[in-house]
Amino acid sequence: MSPLTPNSQSPITTNPQSPTPNPQLYACLYRPPGREENSACSAGSALDVVAIAGEFSPRYECHGADLVSIDVSGLGRLLGPPQAIGDELRREAAARGVRAHIAVAATRMAALVLAIARPGLVVVPRGGEAAALAPISIGVLEKVVVDDDGMQNPQNAQKHGDQHNPASVAVAAFTRWGLKTLGELAALPPPDLAARMGTRALVWQAIARGDDVRPLVPTLAEERFEATLDLEWPIEELEPLSFVLTRLLEPLSTRLERRDRGAAVLHVLLRLVTRDPAGDGGREVCARRLELPTPMRDVRTLRTLALLDLEAHPPGAGIDRVTIVIDPTPGRVLQHTLFARAVPTPERLSTLVARLGALMGQDRFGAPARVDSYRPGAFAMEAFRVEHSASVSQPASVASVAQSPIPNPQSPLVSALRRCRHPVPARVAVAADRPVRVTTDRRGFAGGTVIRCAGPWRTSGDWWAGGPGGSGGSGGSKEISSVSSTHPTYLTHLTHPTVPASWDRDEWDVALSDGAVYRVFRDRATDSWYVDAIVD
Amino acid sequence: MPLARADLESLLRTRRLDRTLTTALPGVDPRDETAVAPAAHAGLDAYLGGGLPRGQLSEIVGARSSGRTSLLLQLAAAATRRGELVALVDALDALDAESAAAAGIDLARLLWVRGHVVTNPGLCGDLNQRALEQALRAFTLVLQAGNFGLVVLDVAEAPLPALRRLPFTTWLRLQRMVEGTQTAALLVGTQPMARSSAGLTLQLGARGLGIGDSGLGGLGNGGAASGIRFGHSLFEGLTVEARVVRARSREREDGCVTLSTRADCA
Repeated sequence: MSPLTPNSQSPITTNPQSPTPNPQLYACLYRPPGREENSACSAGSALDVVAIAGEFSPRYECHGADLVSIDVSGLGRLLGPPQAIGDELRREAAARGVRAHIAVAATRMAALVLAIARPGLVVVPRGGEAAALAPISIGVLEKVVVDDDGMQNPQNAQKHGDQHNPASVAVAAFTRWGLKTLGELAALPPPDLAARMGTRALVWQAIARGDDVRPLVPTLAEERFEATLDLEWPIEELEPLSFVLTRLLEPLSTRLERRDRGAAVLHVLLRLVTRDPAGDGGREVCARRLELPTPMRDVRTLRTLALLDLEAHPPGAGIDRVTIVIDPTPGRVLQHTLFARAVPTPERLSTLVARLGALMGQDRFGAPARVDSYRPGAFAMEAFRVEHSASVSQPASVASVAQSPIPNPQSPLVSALRRCRHPVPARVAVAADRPVRVTTDRRGFAGGTVIRCAGPWRTSGDWWAGGPGGSGGSGGSKEISSVSSTHPTYLTHLTHPTVPASWDRDEWDVALSDGAVYRVFRDRATDSWYVDAIVD
Repeated sequence: MPLARADLESLLRTRRLDRTLTTALPGVDPRDETAVAPAAHAGLDAYLGGGLPRGQLSEIVGARSSGRTSLLLQLAAAATRRGELVALVDALDALDAESAAAAGIDLARLLWVRGHVVTNPGLCGDLNQRALEQALRAFTLVLQAGNFGLVVLDVAEAPLPALRRLPFTTWLRLQRMVEGTQTAALLVGTQPMARSSAGLTLQLGARGLGIGDSGLGGLGNGGAASGIRFGHSLFEGLTVEARVVRARSREREDGCVTLSTRADCA
């Protein structure tokens, strides 16, 4: 039933004239705030309300920690009439040391409002919901917040400020009209009410009448995704372990799919066949924790990631028990399009990143990033994102946008440099303060006579950060790329050390007789020359 | 009995080995972006027939300062502008991030794999060979992941002996991996490597040098002054010629296109 057109004659709201084989019946438990509980039970009393609901029906919906509505339809055959169901609920609450308001009604909304407004046990006869709600103060609407998705949650009412709470605004308006009770609100003509306050006011009126604006959505208990396998013989190598992981992950993946969940963190616990050092029966456990970059439940991907991680961190002994624990998170909702080019899925990219990390090392791949420095060749490495949209994304930095406009197809290419990460020491003959010949001892950099040159351009920096650092060229032992950068990856966090090396150099672009253009520089601190880059 | 070319091709097709034939592939529609990866450069795209062919292993070869890297960055920038992901296996770790940003590459979409190959291995030649094979494995991994728009293996400046020691089947295997996909695989080197496995080989050289005259090994590096532009006191850029020296889906391989680079950040 649409919330915009509340209809008290709806089947949901139990017309007393219509014979229904299994009439709906709801109960609500509300634990009002500020009550002193038994000290032994106070800590868990918030959970007790939910636990009580779970004792009576699997179909219950939590509205915050202290309010729960229960579908008790059908309990009549087991417990008796609604009054008996209410008594049983009150008995159970008392047994748990919880003082709760309990209401039983044929509509969930009536039970919910009565539980909030009336202490003790209230049982409303079928069809008498509106009459039962009529004398209640209209201010109770402020405690029954109806969100856009139809959720009722009294806690939300407290979180919202009065100025921004739609319920407070509505109640203030109703009060100005002279309405004091829910019955007076329910008696207003719906068209006139909607004309003055909008269609949302009809929802308030439906609540005042005790009509349900949406069905009960059962709250599901958090499921633990864990699987364990004890092995008859210890596993020494990773290859047989992959079969064990597959066997454990497949049912977990199925359960995740059924619950529309994905794995956020994958825990691999391997009990090792080692001597018990403490003698208390406990064995050493190799525990690995993989934080996944995106919710995933593909068995092959999870298995590959786990194996790659174990290859990098092999267990120290044979394994006789394998346990997989998955921290779930809501699954991804993907909407593909026919008109955009497909990009690799996060699962494939995660696997690729893990494989590249195992092959090249974690610090040898990623997305390059510019750094806020004039240091020649400075860059940073960032973790390569595994989630990319197929549409064109904007460059990350404003500077990139400013410097990378969409080029004219007729415009020339941007001349690029090939950096020598370790500048090549060179012998440079200088005449009239200009280089005339550049040679090196490095194979492949034979050098030659300078045909044309441009320069020098003096650049220096980081002199305030420390002592002379050789300006990147002193022996070529320091990577000039090692500007402080954080390289987060999805598994670990690696931080490059800051290299406080200042630089002070005169740079030249020289065209040599070997046909190539080089960028060379003279380190002013040591008066030595280096080849820094090739213009290509 | 000597077999005619048609007979040989027929036999190769029977054994499903016809993919190494130079003329085995049909031409592609230059406007079809699922078939070609445009460089967003009007002259080059027109010359290449739309851009680099997808599903093939192409090559950009040339000597130092022949514009290989500039063209590579242009292709990568065009790909990221289309929303594609680009992977660059940089065997010698020579990429300049500033140049990449100046070329217009969306750096967040560029997967940069930094290799360990060094120009001067000294007495540790085996070390370089292992590093090159490692870069090739990384290149293979990226191709296996699929759905990258452009995947590049940059082995320019790599020692030629190390490259020559790679088995020829390496390139054939890579070509088979990329076939039928939307990925444009690209090798950047000094000399052609993939040979008959290459889909398109584009050779760059200094303007006016006559690349064709120098042959594949000449690389046109003797006439530096003809392609290097210096202004009054600044290096302005390069002017190079690009020529297709091998193409599986083209009949004519004559002609060339002139490319200019501007030294914005260089």
